Order: sequence, then C-alpha cells, then structure tokens
Amino acid sequence: MKAFMTRRDFLKGATVALAGASVGFGQNAPAPKAVSRVILIRHKDALDANSQFSEPVLRDMIDEAVMKLVDKSDPVAAFREIVNPDDVVGIKSNVWSFLPTPPQVEKALKSRVLDAGVKEENIGIDDHSVRTNPIFVKSTALINTRPLRTHYLAGISGCIKNYIMFGATQPEYHPDSCASLGSLFLLPQVKGKTRLCVLCALTPQFHGLGPHNFNRRYVWNYRGLIVGRDPVAVDTVGLRLIMAKRRKELGPAQELPPVPKHIQLADTKYGIGTSDLGKIELIRLGWAEDVMI
Amino acid sequence: MNGAPLSGRRAVLAGVLVAMASSALGDVKDLARAIPNTVLAFAASGEDAVYDRKTLYDYMDGGAEVILAFDFKDVLVRKFKDPAGEEIDLDIYDMGSAAEAFGIFSCERQSGPAGIGQESEYGSGLLRFRQGRYFVSIMTPGDETKAGPAILALGKEVAARLGPPGAYPDLLRLLPERGLVKNRTSFFHDVVNLNNRFFIASENILFLNRTTDCALAEYPGPAGETVKLLLVRYPKDEDARAAHQSFLLAFLREADASGAARTENHTWTLARLQGTHLAIVFDAPTKAAAEALQSAIRFPIP
Repeated sequence: MKAFMTRRDFLKGATVALAGASVGFGQNAPAPKAVSRVILIRHKDALDANSQFSEPVLRDMIDEAVMKLVDKSDPVAAFREIVNPDDVVGIKSNVWSFLPTPPQVEKALKSRVLDAGVKEENIGIDDHSVRTNPIFVKSTALINTRPLRTHYLAGISGCIKNYIMFGATQPEYHPDSCASLGSLFLLPQVKGKTRLCVLCALTPQFHGLGPHNFNRRYVWNYRGLIVGRDPVAVDTVGLRLIMAKRRKELGPAQELPPVPKHIQLADTKYGIGTSDLGKIELIRLGWAEDVMI
Repeated sequence: MNGAPLSGRRAVLAGVLVAMASSALGDVKDLARAIPNTVLAFAASGEDAVYDRKTLYDYMDGGAEVILAFDFKDVLVRKFKDPAGEEIDLDIYDMGSAAEAFGIFSCERQSGPAGIGQESEYGSGLLRFRQGRYFVSIMTPGDETKAGPAILALGKEVAARLGPPGAYPDLLRLLPERGLVKNRTSFFHDVVNLNNRFFIASENILFLNRTTDCALAEYPGPAGETVKLLLVRYPKDEDARAAHQSFLLAFLREADASGAARTENHTWTLARLQGTHLAIVFDAPTKAAAEALQSAIRFPIP
C-alpha cells in the first residue's frame, strides 16, 4: 500500500482502512485483541434546553466512564487507579474561545482527583502556560481534556493536538498536516505522564469556515464524552465520529479531508498509542440515539 | 435653481475627498481611525489589535497557515459587545493586492451574497467580503439572530472605507467561460487551500507553494454533478513538467497517451501541460468532454 491517500482512495471506499480503521468497528467484526479501551458515553441531559452544560450530569458521565475504563464500581476507587495521592496532577485543558473545554468538565475532573487523595496545591488546570506553570513543570501525572473539532491543517483537534502547548513553538508542529504532533508526547515534560484522556464530544465541530475555522452551523449537540487512557485510541474514535457526521452532512467526498495523518503517525512513528480500530475496545454507554459510531 | 447643481458639486467634492482618504490609507492601523466604534447596540470593547505575518499565530489556531499562504500583510482586529454581552469580531486583512484578497475570499465560499463590498457572503453569523486589497470577516461566536443586523451594518460601514474595488487574478482570464460557475471559482497558491477546497492527495503531489498560482473552477456536469478544472501556473516550464510527472505517477498511473484515464467513479480525469501551465480536468462524464474543456482554456501564446 502506498504511504499516502488520494482522492481515488475515497472513490474506492478505502478511506476506512487508510484512516486506520477496520471494517465493522466493534459491530460485526470478530472480537479484536484489544490493547486500548475507549469509553463513549452519552447523556441526553448533558445539555439543557438552552444548550447549557449540566454540571451534575457531566460529573456522573465522567464517573461512569472512568469506572468502566478501569473496571471499578466506585468513582473514587476508579480515580485512584488513575492518580496516586502523592501525584502532582496537571489537567491540560483547552481555552479556544469558540469551543473551550467546558468548565464543568474541568471541575468534575479536579473534584475526583481531590477525592483520590491528591492535595489541592498539587493540582493545576492550564492551557497556554503549561510550559511554565509550576504544577505542570513538576507534574507526575497529566489529564488531557478538550473538545473535539475539525482543524484546517491537522484534520481534527483531539487529545493528541491538545498537547501542542507543551512544544516550544506551535508552528513547529504545523508542517505536513501537523504530522509530528505525536512527538509532543515524547517531550521530557510529558513523556509517560498521561493517565486519562477526556475528549469532549458534547458539541463537536465537524467542519470549519472563516478565518478562525469556526462557524456555529457546523457544531452539533452530540452530548458525548470519549474517555480512555490512550490518546491515539481516543482520537481515532473521535475521528470516526467526525467522519460519520461529515459523510452525513457534507457527503462522502468530504468525509475526511484534510487528512488527519498525525493520528496514524502518533501510532506508527511515535508509538504513543494505537490507531488500529481492530485493537481498540470501544464500549458505548448511555444515550444511543444518533450515536453514529 | 442653483441648489441642485451646487449639491452635485458638493457630492463630487465629497466623493473626491473620500477617494483621497481611501487612497491615503497606508495600512490597517490607519483604517482603525476610520472604522466606527459603535454599530446599532454594539460598541467597541477593549483595545484594537494588529497582527502581522510574524504574530498571526498569536491570534489564530490553525488558520494562520491558510492566510500566510497568500501575500497577507497584517490584520486589524476589533471586538464589539452589546449590553447583553453578545460579541462581534471584526477582522480586516490587508492581503497586499486585490488578487490575493479575492484568493482568500474565494477559497471558502459557501453562503449567499450579502451585497457588501466587491463580493460577499453571509450565513450563520459570519459575513465575509472583499474590497480592493482587503478581505474582511465579521462574525459572532454567539447568537446570530441578535448580532446579525449589526454584523451587516458594520460590514457596510467598513466596506465604504476600504477604497476602490480591485481586479480579479489574471490567471482567471484563462478559464473557459462557457458554463463556468463563477461563484465557485477559487484562486490560491498552496496545497493547504487546495485540499480544503478539493482534496486530491494527502501529499503535495503537485508541488504547490507560494510561487505557484492556482485556479480551481467548476462546470456543470450531467445529473447535477460538477466537472472541476484545476489550472496551475508554475514559475518555470521544468517545474510544470515535474508536477505533471508526479501527478501521473501518484494519481493517474494508467493514463493513456493523451493523459486521460477513467477513474473509480466512472468519470474521466485528464492532465495536460502547456508551457508553465498544468491543467487537470476531474470528473468529466466522457473523455471527449474532458478534452473539450481542456481545449477551451485560453493559454497565453508563447
């Protein structure tokens, strides 16, 4: 197989394989040898009638997802599988003005990290200042959370791209469709520290428009969270959701571009997780209407 | 009896003064003084900001490369808020020339025209238009029903202060006119713009960069389908030849001697060279249709 994708691959219907997916994706395929568990949890009441996020519902969704992720029946016990009381925990959030990480998600995560025994002074939430924030500088554990959206260069912005603020410069990671984003996870400040990824698919953005690549017409209320330990697996599932929505709304020809090659390379070149859906155990919880993947 | 002629002279004088003021606009900082600080219930909020080619990354997440792929100079950013906290973001981009302003405007057209500036579109709380060498974006991240009237009013105020209209990119003159869907024609230089408009490959198989000029045009095909014509002008003949070979190898390996092949969607793709120009027809219903479109390109006589 050639190392890149062309329009003709779309015409052949080969995008699924080229995007690192396997046909069936946990539906009709034989049981995979899973190496990464990913939880997709949705709740109809995650947003109220005014599209405001519900703090208690989001807290419950995070609890349920993390319990399932680590096979525990109690949320505090589950978070003790994620962090230790002596950890210094940086919660890497995202403050992009048009679609930031909901504060309710940040609050719920911090609350459970506290419940797990981590001291408050050892917990930080940050985005742009993570390279200099003392908590992040001395962190022993990272929690990675951000909204899911398309990106003009990278294809999608997910948990892998969320660490770009750990890089010395952002443009350094932009060439070739942001192909080197996976290398961020090998930086000394980051390597081996990511304990949990919470990709917010509450109001994902499936297409960009305008100089800021944002327009509200391309945001929809999916009311979901994609949760896992493996950022590549989490983003691979997020990509499939974006692809499914694009296929439905924009047609097959616009299912994928621009190509999010950084996800596959994070697996095959940088070895920080798996992009092979055959090795991802996707567990769906909660509201199933229009789940799409 | 003298009132009307006097008014006419005043109008002419006013027009001359406006034209002088417009032509005196040195950069977007000069514009800042001319743009109103209030529009309907919205008032300017915070300090204006100006970003240039070096600092644009500080303003944009991911969109900077798309603009830097053109001859962008700088952008004036002003934010407005109404008493309820609804926000409007005004960006005025100096693109260096009218052709470049057309380019950035043309790459994303999706909505209907708003009748503002030379060309415009408005939809879902986002107004985009071009006027002369300027490209303008006015948007609300919030409720478009509340901010929409102010966005359109502000757009009209800004357009009136941007000087005279400018020309289309000269490359567009080569496009066959018959059937051309004019509001779908785009102009750009780099692969990042091509792939967001019409994905061809995940690698830069046409060797596009800031030195290449590209026009992507659409023509009606059968049953509502669209035939695309990509016309690329390279700096040198050898650049065009190398790109042609790369395209055939990566995309159209089974092309016949005429450079044509039938692809998986049962349409025809045809790639041909003409000096510094490489022209590729995609999704033509027949080989003859692809060749007809190719032969209608008005290549410059060497």
